[in-house]
Amino acid sequence: MPNSNVDIINVIESKLKNKVQIQPGQLGKAAIVATDGLHRDVMKAMVDADEYTAISAITGLDLGANLGVLYHVRTSNSFVTIRAEVPKDNPKIQTIIDIAPSATFHELEVTDLFGVVFEGNPLAGHFVLSEYWPQGVYPLRKDVKANEVKLNPPPAEDTKQPETGRVVKIILGPQHPALLEPEKFAVTVDGETVTKVEPRIGYVHRGIEKAAESRTYLQDVYLIERICGICNPIHACNFVEGVEKVLKTEVPTRAKYLRVIALELNRLHSHLLTLGHAGLEIGYETLFQYFWRDREPIMDLIELTSGNRVYSSLMTVGGVRRDIRDSDVPKIKTTLVDLRKKLPFYRKVYEEEPSIRARMQNVGVLKREDALKLGVVGPVARGSGVNIDVRKDEPYEAYAEIPFKEIVYTAGDTWARMNVRMDEVEESINIIEYALDHLPTGPFRVKAPRIVPAGEACNRVEAPRGELFCYVKSNGTAFPERVKVRTPTYANIPAFLKTAIGESIADVPPNFVSLDPCFSCTDR
Amino acid sequence: MSNTVTWARVKSPWVLHFNSGACNGCDIEVVAALTPKYDVERFGIKLEPSPRHADVLLVTGCVTQQCAERLKRIYDQMPQPKFVVAIGACACSGGVFAGNYNVVGGADKVVPVTAYIPGCPPRPEALIDGVVKLLNALSPPKPKKKPKQEKPAEVPKEEAKTPEAPKPETPASQEAKPKVEEAKVDAK
Repeated sequence: MPNSNVDIINVIESKLKNKVQIQPGQLGKAAIVATDGLHRDVMKAMVDADEYTAISAITGLDLGANLGVLYHVRTSNSFVTIRAEVPKDNPKIQTIIDIAPSATFHELEVTDLFGVVFEGNPLAGHFVLSEYWPQGVYPLRKDVKANEVKLNPPPAEDTKQPETGRVVKIILGPQHPALLEPEKFAVTVDGETVTKVEPRIGYVHRGIEKAAESRTYLQDVYLIERICGICNPIHACNFVEGVEKVLKTEVPTRAKYLRVIALELNRLHSHLLTLGHAGLEIGYETLFQYFWRDREPIMDLIELTSGNRVYSSLMTVGGVRRDIRDSDVPKIKTTLVDLRKKLPFYRKVYEEEPSIRARMQNVGVLKREDALKLGVVGPVARGSGVNIDVRKDEPYEAYAEIPFKEIVYTAGDTWARMNVRMDEVEESINIIEYALDHLPTGPFRVKAPRIVPAGEACNRVEAPRGELFCYVKSNGTAFPERVKVRTPTYANIPAFLKTAIGESIADVPPNFVSLDPCFSCTDR
Repeated sequence: MSNTVTWARVKSPWVLHFNSGACNGCDIEVVAALTPKYDVERFGIKLEPSPRHADVLLVTGCVTQQCAERLKRIYDQMPQPKFVVAIGACACSGGVFAGNYNVVGGADKVVPVTAYIPGCPPRPEALIDGVVKLLNALSPPKPKKKPKQEKPAEVPKEEAKTPEAPKPETPASQEAKPKVEEAKVDAK
């Protein structure tokens, strides 16, 4: 946890006395109601007081006559929310990207989905939605019916002449051998040096947040799990924790340990996948095949403990849906011991193999101050010496009781980011072994009501790729009023845009994959 | 000549994988099928990055509005004869995302689909089974009469529906192997 004893609420109180209303205990440590453009002053006070301050997410809300804008801010030791409102007929609000650059993409998303105009944000155009999306239709507003939107016809064939000369724009994506997912990055190169990267996300935007509003909470667990096929239990866990916060349901201790085991098994498979994928991107296919070979026993363990390789729907409101059999514990332990035995070899490869060092060291260096400013999360932040990990900072489930190390590297390059993951594989094995040894007895699930009382909650968890944020608002029915998910890759893309510039075009793939990008998460 | 071409195609189909807005679940299982445990390369299946060299297009995902146009373009770039396999519940019908505002829902709304492999996501065993069924359909019956011009035998547009995911106890390779043997016999 970052060593800081700044009490951010005190700071805001002393600087903006009587101007803002502080609601302690709501949406994190406190919610701060800031009207008439005061959100900028609150943000400024927080940024000045604490270098770890960054925007975690911006949630748009349809409040009837007004549109709500919630700025979820992460500081070194707490999590606060700034509430602002704009009228629906003139939805304009001052941008905060000059104070907190980490807000850039979050503002664009709210503009796209809610039509809130952030005055001063220079980026324009659709970021999440299709280019042919009709003007003035904002899908997450309540009056828009999800299945009645008609897209504009696509324009006639693009007849632009190919660019010639020294400066060339190279389009990566949407279908590209190096990317498993459809996403577009326009990389401008001068000779071989990258001078500009323009991202265009949204190719995997499935409108999950809107769809969640028309399903019950229980159905939403299955829907939200399908945000991402790699880190699905953490998405489900994040959402059910949010719902449990609104319900004020206490989960049994055994369920907490079972959730930790499921989440760490998931982290293991996700990290092994990325470590191998990085090998593929630098043309080291043997390493890729090795890592994926060793990932399969973990997939078998996931199947053994949860019932399916990928989507197991283990998490549910009030606990988990199935227990671990005592007879399975030795099998889990031997598999983990086998994996642990293989780790020294992989570490040696990453440390001594000249091709890995040549392609990864000093590539994509993200300095600590940039990492803080851009608000990156997870292994990307920890590879740049920013010691943030939600499991340590705001322990959820059983993480407070389980001893584990927070892995931090200071180099900030691609190599450091991959090594963070390598060390975390070992830590995850330790966590699972500890949890299995200390598995408490008792029920693994409590019955939770299907109707959720009116209320709202934010929740944060540490996904394999970093901090995952979720906001749940209930209106007292069986259907949620609003669900917002901000995924780690969304916060990490600015790091790539920053570090790719000035480097060779050949360094783009290893640099990019070191973020462990997951666009199905990003777009939702 | 056309027999040789068909034989080569059935023996070594080059596949192109396109994610049309999938959650990565199916995509990772497709890659898992290529890696050591399942290893479909031993059946001659090769993942090919360029549409211009591919025989089979594996589509995953619910086809978002942005990807629909791309999917069509990639399909058009592939040389004839070409086949599309829809992988996963989303590519088959839109799955859990059907009806959402940015979702077209189902690969067959954009390109003609030859085989459907349902599942969320289908296990690598099911993927292998689905592709092998497609190959069986491609391999011509013993050529008594002359096949029509350049084209191989027409592909029946029936659903190559996979049975329910096999139980974890049965290893994939063992199940899939005999079917490949069949394909081999047919191809000869």
